[in-house]
Amino acid sequence: MPFIVAFVFAYVLWLVLTAGTNGLLWSTQELIAGLIFAGIIGYATKDVVGEKSIRFLNPIKWLEGIAYAPVLFWGMTKANLDVAYRVITGRINPGIVRVPVDLENDAQYTIMSNSITLTPGTLTIDACPDEKALYVHWINVKDPHPKSSEPVAGPFEKWARRLGK
Amino acid sequence: MGLIVKTSARAIIPLIGIFGTYIVAHGHLTPGGGFQGGATIAGAGVLFLVAFGLNEMRKHYNKHLYSALEGLGGLAFLGAAMLGIGTAFFYNTLWHNGPILNGKPGTLLSAGFLPIMNLAVGLKVFTGLVSALVAIAMYRRWKS
Repeated sequence: MPFIVAFVFAYVLWLVLTAGTNGLLWSTQELIAGLIFAGIIGYATKDVVGEKSIRFLNPIKWLEGIAYAPVLFWGMTKANLDVAYRVITGRINPGIVRVPVDLENDAQYTIMSNSITLTPGTLTIDACPDEKALYVHWINVKDPHPKSSEPVAGPFEKWARRLGK
Repeated sequence: MGLIVKTSARAIIPLIGIFGTYIVAHGHLTPGGGFQGGATIAGAGVLFLVAFGLNEMRKHYNKHLYSALEGLGGLAFLGAAMLGIGTAFFYNTLWHNGPILNGKPGTLLSAGFLPIMNLAVGLKVFTGLVSALVAIAMYRRWKS
């Protein structure tokens, strides 16, 4: 099963890289070479991608990922403008806060942490699955002991929980 | 490393691998080639070593396999160079009258023995760099 995941990811990237060899599509040579090389890469990395990674081949998850893109982009735009405001005025109140999150697996923690880091003004320092918490450096601490991730990350936790399930 | 680095490495290592293979396989068409692509794939190996640590690497790294593959890469390069020995060393007989790899220039199966040599060099560079770095990482201890 992990072999198939690594193989599909590798083959998709190969197709993206070699698009345009036959008009706008792919020549037969490239398709066959891609199968062979993606097979080698998939076999070599089948222990790396993880046992339960097959869930990321679910098309519903891809649609959810596409739906998440504008949410993340809108959050980034707002946070960038907020940070520009703080650069000009100098009104900062930095600090490291412990954010309790209700996530279960590694992928959810990774999506959540990367979303927090991508929105400027907040930066994930450490993810602790043991205590179900993230440590976040926040440029403007409004609440030093947040009860949930809502004041720090907005709607990202809900999305991360759904995307990584 | 931490959880986020590990999970990201799980997703990225196959992608680095296929990108390096792409560079190696298209060495006669696009910038790059055996060394560049091999070093890229070795980067995936180093990412595995750094993200998952030495103990995990010990389980997946086979000294004899990597040593044999490195020798195989060198031999394949020499074999491709020997193909046209009837005329001269390094004579590109596959391109002039060979059965394969003499397609229209610009396609994947063209340029005679160059794709074979690129794959051989890529394999040799990947296994050599990974072996060297794992050997350094396994160096016994800090003192003496």
